[in-house]
Amino acid sequence: MRSRHVRYAIVLVAAWLCLPATPVSAQSSDAPTTPDTLLDGSTLSDVWVHINARDWEELHTHYLEGTYYPVDFEWRGIRVRNSGIRVRGNTSRNDHKPSFRIDFNRYVTGQDFFGVNALVLNSSWHDASMLHDRLSMLLFRRMGIPAPRQAHVRLYVGANREFAGVYAVSEEVNKPFLDATFGSHDGYLYEYHRQDGDHYGFEYHGPDLGWYIPRFGPKTHESDSVANLYTPIRALVEAINDAPKSELEDKLTGYFNVNIYITEIAVQNFLAQTDGLLGDFGMNNCYLYRFARTRLSQLIPWDQDASFSSMDMPPWHNMGANVLASKIWDEPKYRAAYLKKLLEIADAAGPPAGAAGVDGWLRQEAAREYEQIRDAVHADPLTPYSSDEFEQAVAFIDQFARERADIVRQYVARVAPEMFTANRR
Amino acid sequence: MLPSNRAAFAATVAAVLLSVAAPVTAQSKPDGPRVRLTFDKHPSIHIGNVLTVDVRVKAQTDWRDFPAEPATIPKDVFDLHRARLGLEGTLLTRFDYQIEREFHDTTQPWRDLYVDARVVRNLKIQGGHFKIPFGLDQLTSGMDLDFNYRSLAGTYLAPGRDLGLMAHGKLFNDVVKYQAGVFRQGGANVRASERTETQSARTVAGRLVVRPWNGSRAFRSLRSFAAGIAFTDGLLPEGPNSLRGKTVPGDAFFDRFYVKGRRQRVGAEFQWRPGPMSVQGELMRARDQRQDQGLDNENLPDVVAHGWYLVSTWLVTGERKKDTITPARPFLKGGIGAVELAGRVERLGSGSHGTAVEPFPSPRAPGILLRTDSVWTAGVNWYVNEFIKLQANLIREQREAGDVVIPGQATRWSRTLGVQFGL
Repeated sequence: MRSRHVRYAIVLVAAWLCLPATPVSAQSSDAPTTPDTLLDGSTLSDVWVHINARDWEELHTHYLEGTYYPVDFEWRGIRVRNSGIRVRGNTSRNDHKPSFRIDFNRYVTGQDFFGVNALVLNSSWHDASMLHDRLSMLLFRRMGIPAPRQAHVRLYVGANREFAGVYAVSEEVNKPFLDATFGSHDGYLYEYHRQDGDHYGFEYHGPDLGWYIPRFGPKTHESDSVANLYTPIRALVEAINDAPKSELEDKLTGYFNVNIYITEIAVQNFLAQTDGLLGDFGMNNCYLYRFARTRLSQLIPWDQDASFSSMDMPPWHNMGANVLASKIWDEPKYRAAYLKKLLEIADAAGPPAGAAGVDGWLRQEAAREYEQIRDAVHADPLTPYSSDEFEQAVAFIDQFARERADIVRQYVARVAPEMFTANRR
Repeated sequence: MLPSNRAAFAATVAAVLLSVAAPVTAQSKPDGPRVRLTFDKHPSIHIGNVLTVDVRVKAQTDWRDFPAEPATIPKDVFDLHRARLGLEGTLLTRFDYQIEREFHDTTQPWRDLYVDARVVRNLKIQGGHFKIPFGLDQLTSGMDLDFNYRSLAGTYLAPGRDLGLMAHGKLFNDVVKYQAGVFRQGGANVRASERTETQSARTVAGRLVVRPWNGSRAFRSLRSFAAGIAFTDGLLPEGPNSLRGKTVPGDAFFDRFYVKGRRQRVGAEFQWRPGPMSVQGELMRARDQRQDQGLDNENLPDVVAHGWYLVSTWLVTGERKKDTITPARPFLKGGIGAVELAGRVERLGSGSHGTAVEPFPSPRAPGILLRTDSVWTAGVNWYVNEFIKLQANLIREQREAGDVVIPGQATRWSRTLGVQFGL
């Protein structure tokens, strides 16, 4: 009898010990351990920026300044204290629904958010659909080009958790991004700053390194000498200009991977991007990364709001306005490689050629993202677009996703029917 | 010779001539209002009992050897520390006045600009722009300091000058000295953002100094002993306006915090000057409230700045220690002037009230990391004559954050040499 009581007691104690374990483990399995859950776009997350009411007001009043204000950043109950926030953007800067940069180590050296030291909250000021940037980055990544991850969030601010609208959250191109992408951040990273009236496209501007300083802002090795920072960029530009178009790949070996560049400009031209590497006003919205202890550089895309500009933009848009792109276009073997890449992108993004009624990846992804953000965008108190404008913009993307692949194929077939035929075989 | 060099040369010659000049008196016509021009320690005009005008000149140049400070602009080796011209005197025997302008400071050039009226025997009313009565070191004239630089607490925790109205006087045969006033804002020793803030608010201040043995025959050596307390209380304009604090070379040391509410200072002081020696010390504490300044608009713990110093001096040549030292035997007039040794230990710090919250270096952090600057200064003062003074200081600083020495700032030595000319 006594031993039975002891057994009951043991069972009861064991059961009691197990009881709290169940909810804790359930909680921990839900709890994110990386920012992937925030950035993978699987859900529409809620982000709460704790900011003093006066700072929120000041942030809008002085939106043209780069002043940081202290905030706590909260996501799924995880609160990163003593972070900093500032307004960001160039042409999209505004005081109504500004874009922000959240800097996790602004006030606390080394602080990060699961390895990410900064996030961008983009208001998509120029994009009524709010989908251009995210879809573009996804297509880059789908085609093997490193590009920042993006997702949408509902932003809440202040002590009363007021809804401040839908934002696209993006990781920055910075050291953690380089670590995750290339396994190291020891190289030289530059943010390209287009200068007014420049229309720059890799033209050589002489030996003066000072010419490069305002255009290539260093994001790593910031305190290195001008010679260390800019001599390799000048050498790259010189090499691009000096290389005969027929020997482009050989002459640029060690400086630039021509095939990666071809993929990058092909993706942008497929997406009808007018403010990218072959932008209407010259090169724009990109980073340049030179790998450590080499001369090899690579471009990394940024801010693709201006994609999806038109349905029938020729997919070799502005190829002649850029030194490197024009050499690619003028040389048959590289032109062929470029056109082939366009067809690959069309296949990857759109429905298969001639397959009416079949949804391609781009349409499915656009529809998924639209479903994810629709209700929140309609409830967005600060969006500069009406609900009808949002729906129309999304409808255009849907049409673009359905038709663009075939339009690009037709363009390719027109200039290189033999390749199109070969590709189809 | 450039015009500026000529002017400097002329000023130097004039200064030398003035420093060795014998007292001169000029007198106007005997039967009109008696106008006298005297030239004793400084030029003076006396118009009968109607008006006296004393011309005052205060100049100081420092040679400085400060250690390099990362991320700051290197300091000039030579610094024109002070270049002031002033007028002071009495009007109708009842009103004292002072006007003083600093030509080296373009942002706040006016120093003292006030009238002091004798109402009754023990009561004076002073109105205008002058020092808020808080902090013995701050209230000491720049020409009478024992070192090249004021104490850090006296410089940054005391409010300095402002526009105001003050009642003051002495009671009980000068045993008690009182000062009480109301001022337009919180003084000039605040951040520029606060000085220019339009939400100005009044500050009240009071100071009480007691000399318990003043005039005592039984305790002659304690006659000069004085002890006092002081306070200020004012409303802070909302914004990143917490009190500033700097190192001896003048680099920002306190972080900037958002504040709102009251700024309250309390201070205690003592001074004792037995013969050629002196001991002086002060303790100050300033609290800035942070109402609604949290990230969720909650109240935050007050920002607390505190400082103290202890000074001891010894006039080796035997003169009595006073505010203004006049050598008994001036240099080149049968003596070597007066020589004084001085030492000061001091500390300035800032943190948040209470220690329960983990500190962070953010302008709205609830807990603020305690930052302190501990300084030792050794000095030699040479009073060449009643006009010229040379001061050499050796300064050792150690800065800490959260009771940990800030890397690279364990021991920092500075040397300064100041040359003063006062008229």
